[in-house]
Amino acid sequence: MGVTRRGFLGCVAGSLTAGLPFDVPRRIETGPRRVLLDLREHCGLRESVAGYESALAGLGTGVTSRCTLLIVPAALDIPPPAVRAIMSRLRTGATVLLESGAGFAADRDFRAHRAVLRDQLGVHIEAPVRLWSSRGASGVPYVDYSWPASAKIRDFSRVVPLERQSEGAGEIIAWVDDLPVALRRRYGRGDLIFLGSPLGPALWAGDAEARRWLCEVVGR
Amino acid sequence: MKKAIGDNMIPKEWGFEKGLELVKQAGFDGIELWLGDVPWFQPSTADGDVRELRRKIADAGLVVSNVSTGLHWASPLSARDPTVRARAMRIVERQIETAALLGTDAILVVAGLVTEEVPYNEVYQRCVDALGALGETAARAGVRIGCENCNAEHRFLMSPREFSQFLNDVKRPAVGIHLDVGNIHDTGFAEQWIEILGTRITRIHVKDVMKHRGRCGDQSVYTNLFLGDNNWPAIRAALTKVGYNGWLVAEMEARYRYAPDQQFHDTARALDRLISGRL
Repeated sequence: MGVTRRGFLGCVAGSLTAGLPFDVPRRIETGPRRVLLDLREHCGLRESVAGYESALAGLGTGVTSRCTLLIVPAALDIPPPAVRAIMSRLRTGATVLLESGAGFAADRDFRAHRAVLRDQLGVHIEAPVRLWSSRGASGVPYVDYSWPASAKIRDFSRVVPLERQSEGAGEIIAWVDDLPVALRRRYGRGDLIFLGSPLGPALWAGDAEARRWLCEVVGR
Repeated sequence: MKKAIGDNMIPKEWGFEKGLELVKQAGFDGIELWLGDVPWFQPSTADGDVRELRRKIADAGLVVSNVSTGLHWASPLSARDPTVRARAMRIVERQIETAALLGTDAILVVAGLVTEEVPYNEVYQRCVDALGALGETAARAGVRIGCENCNAEHRFLMSPREFSQFLNDVKRPAVGIHLDVGNIHDTGFAEQWIEILGTRITRIHVKDVMKHRGRCGDQSVYTNLFLGDNNWPAIRAALTKVGYNGWLVAEMEARYRYAPDQQFHDTARALDRLISGRL
C-alpha cells in the first residue's frame, strides 16, 4: 500500500490532531480524534489496515469520541517510534486499540512481538493457537466479546492468547472457548485495548458485527 | 474455433514427446500446459527449459492454447496466511511469465476457495484485491487471466451473474473467465453462462457432466462428450451468438481404463462435431 494523497493529508492532519511525532510509520486520520497507525512492513496483515480504514471512513463524523483513539492494526514487531507514540498517547488519556498480527508470524517475528508487548506495555501473551486443526464437529470458533458491547465475531484461524494475567493486569474482554484473547487495561490516563484475534480482516470483509463492535469502541 | 487438450492427460509413462505425437495424430491444434501437474513443467522449470518445451511443441506441429494450474487448490489466493497468499501470487506470476515464453495469451486460475474456516466474504474481497494487482501484471505481459468457474468444488461464484459482478469488481480487462461447461453441474446451464459472460470468456474447458450423480462414492460426476447431460446444441448456439471463436480445451477428468490413447482420438472427433455444429 503506497502513500495516497488522502494518506499524506491524513499524516499531516493526524500529527496535528493526535500529536504523534513524524518519525513513526504512516498515520491515517480517519475521522475526528481517530488516527490509524500503519506499521507498514511491521504490519502482519495488510487487509487489516484496509479494514479499519474503510470501517472508520464509513462511520464518518456521525460517531464522535470523547478521547483520542489510536488504532494499530495487525502489529508484528512494533518499532520504537511507534512504541513511543503509543505510550505517549496512553499517558495523555487516549484509547489505543492494539491488534496483534502475529497469529501467522514466523517464530522470530513472534518473539519480537511478544517482547515488545511484555517489556513496553506489560501485556503477556502466549504462542499462537490454531483454532481449526482439532475442532472436528465442534463448530465455528467465534470470538465472544464482552466489552464495550457483547459481540460474536468470526475467528481468524489463529489467535494469540493472553497469559493468565496477574491481579490488576487488566480485564479480559474477549474469549474463544476458554482462551482469553483480548484485554483492556488502564495505562497512564489512557486505555489500552489489546486484540489477540485480528478484527481488521472481518471489517474488510464487511462483517456487520465487527463494525458494530468497533463503533462502540469509537463512540466511548 | 480450435481444439486443444491438456498435457496432464498424457499417460505418465508416455513422456512429453510421445504425448505430443499422440495429441497431433488425434487431430488437436494445440495443447494446454498444466504448471505443477506434470514433471516437465514445474514452477521451478527454468526459462530456458520452458523455451525448449515450446520448441518441442512447435516441432510437433502444435501451439500452446493456454497455461493452467491446479496448484491453487493447495495454495489459494484467498488463504488467510499471508505466506500462502504470497506463494499463490507467485504461482500466477509464473503462469504469466511462462505464457509469454510459450507464446500464448491466456492462463487459468482457480480464484478462491471457500471453506468452513475461510468464509465467503473474505474469499471474495481477497480475490478481488489479488486479481486487481495480477490483472495489471498480466496486461503488461499481454496475457489474460481466466478465472475458472469451479462452482461446487470451490463453493465460490456459483452463478453467471455473480461471476459477472465479481469481474466488475476486479475492474481489470485482462481478467476474465475460463469457462468450464462441465463444472456447472446441476446449478445452472452452460449456455446461459456463455450468453451472460460473452466476450469475457478467455478459454473454454469442455467435458460432459452426469447431473444426477453428485459427488458421492467412486463414480465421477464427469464423463466424455455427448454422454452426459449438457445440452450441446444449446451450448453451440450460445457460442455462435456471443461470437466465441477461441480455444475449446478438452478436460476429460474421467479417463479410459484401457487404451488411454483412444480417448484422445474420440475426444478430438467429438470436438470436431461440436465445432461443426453437426449435433
